[in-house]
Amino acid sequence: MDETRFNTPGEQRKIDSIAADILKNVRINRSFILWMGFLSTVLVLCLAAYVIQLREGLGVTGMRDFTSWGMYIANFVFFVATSLVGMLISSVLGLIGYQWVKPISRIAEIIAIAFAAVAGLVIISDMGRPDRLPYVFMYGRVQSPILWDVTVVTTYFVLSLLLWFFPMVPDLAISKSRLEGRPAFLVKAYDILSFRWEHHEVQYRIMKQAIRILLILIIPTAFAIHTVTSWLFAVTPRTGWDSTIFGPYFISGAFVSGTAALIIAIYFFRVNYKLQKYLTDDTFDKIARVLVLVSIVYFYFNLNEFLVPGYKLKTGDAIHLRELFTGHYAPLFWTIQLGGLIIPVILLLFKKMRRPLPMLIISLFVLCGAWLKRYIIVVPPQAHPNLPIQNVPVEWVIYKPTLIEIAVTVASIILVLIIITILSKLFPVIPIWEMAEEENEKDKPFDKQ
Amino acid sequence: MKYTVPVIMCLLLLPSLSKGQDWVVPEERKGRLSTFPFTEETRKEGERLYNINCLSCHGTPGKNNSIALVPPPGDPATEKIQRNSDGEIFHKVTVGRGQMPSFRSVMSAEEIWKTVSYIRSFNRDYVQRVMQIITSSAYPGAQISLSMAYLEAERQVIVRAMATDEEKSVPVTNAGVRLFASRYFGALAVDEEKLTDKNGVAAFVIPAGLPGDTAGNVSISARFTDEEVFGSVTRDTVIQAGLKNRAGSLVAQRAMWNSVRKAPLWVILSYGIGVLAVWGFILLVMLKLRDIYTVGSALRGNLRPASDQEPTNKQEAI
Ligand code: HEC
Repeated sequence: MDETRFNTPGEQRKIDSIAADILKNVRINRSFILWMGFLSTVLVLCLAAYVIQLREGLGVTGMRDFTSWGMYIANFVFFVATSLVGMLISSVLGLIGYQWVKPISRIAEIIAIAFAAVAGLVIISDMGRPDRLPYVFMYGRVQSPILWDVTVVTTYFVLSLLLWFFPMVPDLAISKSRLEGRPAFLVKAYDILSFRWEHHEVQYRIMKQAIRILLILIIPTAFAIHTVTSWLFAVTPRTGWDSTIFGPYFISGAFVSGTAALIIAIYFFRVNYKLQKYLTDDTFDKIARVLVLVSIVYFYFNLNEFLVPGYKLKTGDAIHLRELFTGHYAPLFWTIQLGGLIIPVILLLFKKMRRPLPMLIISLFVLCGAWLKRYIIVVPPQAHPNLPIQNVPVEWVIYKPTLIEIAVTVASIILVLIIITILSKLFPVIPIWEMAEEENEKDKPFDKQ
Repeated sequence: MKYTVPVIMCLLLLPSLSKGQDWVVPEERKGRLSTFPFTEETRKEGERLYNINCLSCHGTPGKNNSIALVPPPGDPATEKIQRNSDGEIFHKVTVGRGQMPSFRSVMSAEEIWKTVSYIRSFNRDYVQRVMQIITSSAYPGAQISLSMAYLEAERQVIVRAMATDEEKSVPVTNAGVRLFASRYFGALAVDEEKLTDKNGVAAFVIPAGLPGDTAGNVSISARFTDEEVFGSVTRDTVIQAGLKNRAGSLVAQRAMWNSVRKAPLWVILSYGIGVLAVWGFILLVMLKLRDIYTVGSALRGNLRPASDQEPTNKQEAI
């Protein structure tokens, strides 16, 4: 019986204890129902706002002739950005061979799935005629970055889903017999989705092959998804968007917001799911270092993005940068740059700050900063039309999101939370078999002594 | 003497101040009249011209929806514009001021008068005075006409001006004539202004590089510089003197802006290969699920009891 794993009593015991820790959260309990009830209520309220928009048209938003991309697109960019963390954790760090990413990689994939899925919907909310969505596929022009974006977002979503699912197959097999008292449909689903997993070495080999392909495949896809999103802006000659470094600028920013979102999520699971044993202080310390690293890279791209045009001060750039640095958007701009980037990096250099609670607070700042940063990238450059227009109404010039826009945006965030809740409540959030394997490895030298 | 400077300053400021208010038309231009009576037909044609050239700023007459410029263009149906004499409107439209464009090279005198005819149709008190001598003050009673010929070898257009009355036909001499080629937007002056010689002839040289249509045709027109004296006579004709325009249709070739079927090959290939490659691998990975399932089925069928967990659990319990 060498060819199957986890067949010795010792290993079984390990599996039992780990599965017990992790599966205790897989249940439809009162707090789950209350939380979902709350989310659904808010969602319904916000969707009412969307129904109004659907009936009346985009005129109910603050978008006008000048600023035709507002909060929706900023939110879209933020979602795409945040979803990139799945690739960063599982692929980049996983392929390098860091073991500490194992307990958090599934959480990272859940975030990726939720944000990528809803990013697509956010785009639809920005359409005045969503009924014409099929036209994108019927008459889609491959020359248009918008089509590329639709393609890569879909692809990335599917890849993330597979990367979430594949490593979970052994867990489903482990769990299906340990789900007493859970709804029958869940047990049935586990049984079907475990694809007759027998912990056989051949099966492990096939799975690892598949995961390896996915891990490699998702790197260019993830780069594509956010580079293409940046190209939606950078392929126009508009001041503030007309930049050659927008691709890497967006990607490095994506790692920042994604890592912050991941820290918030693992803090939540650690505390609420009582998973301190797996999401350890050390995990937090490690991921804090990742956040510092990606933030410094992002800072470097910020420097490029602002210093180079700021040195030349071409007419359009001068107006744009003045608006950001000292003008209308200055308070927001400096709050974001200091509170969402520079101060967090400085704080995280101290060991005391790399503990769960301080990191939660810092990450919340980073995440809010990341959202607002997208707003500042999308909106201000549109305030100055390329052709001079005179005597236009004030509401054309100054974009202010309306209540409806805010409600629809809240709806998208609620949807993300709903997806994360469902995925993390119905399925194990930490890979059981990998944890057991890891413990085995830890045990080995011990055994030898 | 101590007031010199302020006085000079005031004098200097005066023109710029007055510019913002009254738009003064030179005395001799105010009384200018249309050479033809305004009829239902001219009104209709004027409406068409107004909608093309003026509507965007002045709005629909009577609706008071002219756009907000400073100074305001004004609604043609209102007192602001109707209090102008025919000659004043004609002059203002011809020369323009500030944001009001000059239509000198966009519309012919006849077209401007037709537009005036349309504007006046909103004024019930208006009574038209037509220019009495329709023809010319220089050749009283005579009908002035222009004729044109193109000398291909010399690349010259010969314009001939004649004044004809009941008895005889004489050349119009010493009259300034100008030649225009019509372009997409307005008319382009060709060569310089010429004076007719003793035979009433003026010769214009067509520049070699003048672009024409696909057949090399250029539509040209001649008119008198001083239409007050000689009347607003024009002569249009089409000559084959331009370069043949060989620019093909902008959507004939593969291009970024074209439909998907005519997209640049490199875009189609990059996109197509990229998508196919990635989705090919995705398919491959999905097939691996089937492999896992097959292996599992084989194991269950041959090697192991239907459920693997229970025996081991029992084992552990023992
Ligand atoms: C680009 C905008 C624009 C267009 C096109 C335009 N106008 Fe005007 N027009 C103006 C403005 C602005 C003024 C006021 C100018 C001033 O007072 O300095 C004006 C003034 C005038 C006036 C004088 C009004 C007065 O107070 O005496 C007349 C007459 C007039 N326009 C007729 C026309 C006609 C006829 C056309 C079309 C052939 C036309 N305009 C096209 C902007 C425009």
